[in-house]
Amino acid sequence: MNALVLVGSPKGRNSSSFLLGSKLAEGLRNHGAAVREELAHPALRTEDGTRRLLDAVDASDLVVLSFPLYVDSLPSPLTLLLELVAGRRAGAAMAGSPRLAAIVQCGFPEAHQCDTAVGICRLFAGRTGMRWAGALAMGMGGSLERGFRKLPGGGRNILRALDMASETLAGGGDIPGEAATLFATPLMPRWMYTLFGNLGWRVQLRRNRARKPLAHRPHSQ
Amino acid sequence: MKALVLDGSREGDALTTVAVLGVRAALEGRGAVVEHAILRKLSVAPCTGCFGCWTRTPGECVFGDDARDVVRSYLDSDVVVYATPVTFGGYSSLLKATLDRIILPVLDPRFTVVGGEVHHRLRYRRYPKTVGLGTLPTPDPEAERLFAALVSRNGLNVQQAAEAVVLAGVTDPASAKMFAERLLDRVGVPR
Repeated sequence: MNALVLVGSPKGRNSSSFLLGSKLAEGLRNHGAAVREELAHPALRTEDGTRRLLDAVDASDLVVLSFPLYVDSLPSPLTLLLELVAGRRAGAAMAGSPRLAAIVQCGFPEAHQCDTAVGICRLFAGRTGMRWAGALAMGMGGSLERGFRKLPGGGRNILRALDMASETLAGGGDIPGEAATLFATPLMPRWMYTLFGNLGWRVQLRRNRARKPLAHRPHSQ
Repeated sequence: MKALVLDGSREGDALTTVAVLGVRAALEGRGAVVEHAILRKLSVAPCTGCFGCWTRTPGECVFGDDARDVVRSYLDSDVVVYATPVTFGGYSSLLKATLDRIILPVLDPRFTVVGGEVHHRLRYRRYPKTVGLGTLPTPDPEAERLFAALVSRNGLNVQQAAEAVVLAGVTDPASAKMFAERLLDRVGVPR
């Protein structure tokens, strides 16, 4: 089986989406799939890169989108890719119907805030003749910045969920509900995440030697 | 009253053009000064996710393209219209690129609880009401439901009223205006 893991974060290899996508790719390989990993943003900047991505989608039996939630939805370049794939599949008699799965993470504590983005991916699959294979969605994505090992409990729920998902996806199945539940399990209490998150913004502001406070209003109303 | 129409249509998208004509007429009929931003004619690069608008130059994107002017117009408006072909229940990539660039800088990164879930704090005292105006060639209940849910969630981000409608196969401006009038009533834009 040929799988394409497509990372939709503009931060590329430094992103939580890459971390999660790569771990899933590793699991897919361990279960016998041939896996190609691509970064959507740099590829979509050029015509060649765009064509390469579209060809890679066509050549895959399974496409996995791994991306951060941007304004309740997919980052814009990934939206553009969906438009291009849909255009290509509408314009030609497609031989196969690859499966589509998604890994979505957001910076809010609640995994359900990813629901609209997951819905868009599912609808895209349905409208383009692809088969929806499910999604893993998690909140507290900001905690992933320092890797799995620094997560509470070593991120065991996330790793277990990715392992379960890779096994079933490689075998031609859908992401199991149990994996989605594990993946969505909060990594820590909500109060703790927001407390550390708020402190983190201040630390970054200081590190960047910003001249204005976090609450600065550059535009008068 | 000021209104900003963010037009996420591609060249040749007759349905969204008609929808925009309808909503402009409805807004102008209510005395609004309407700014029509045709996004395909602007230069707005995709957000790079650097968080510079939060932790380097708070409130302002570090990139100086047309998105900065759109942010200014957004904050000056009483109502913002997201006009777009419904794209798998979401926005067109043109509109999405603009929203990705304008919503982050108008919010304060720190967290707060709104309606039982965590969102970012508001940076400004006042935000426009959000109106989603989607178009489809034919009715698609699943896409329409998802579009309404997305617009509603976008309203939560800025703690403002948000309403949406999808015009399916509407090709005459008079009908589009009628739908727009109902939409503006629902979101509370005064006549």
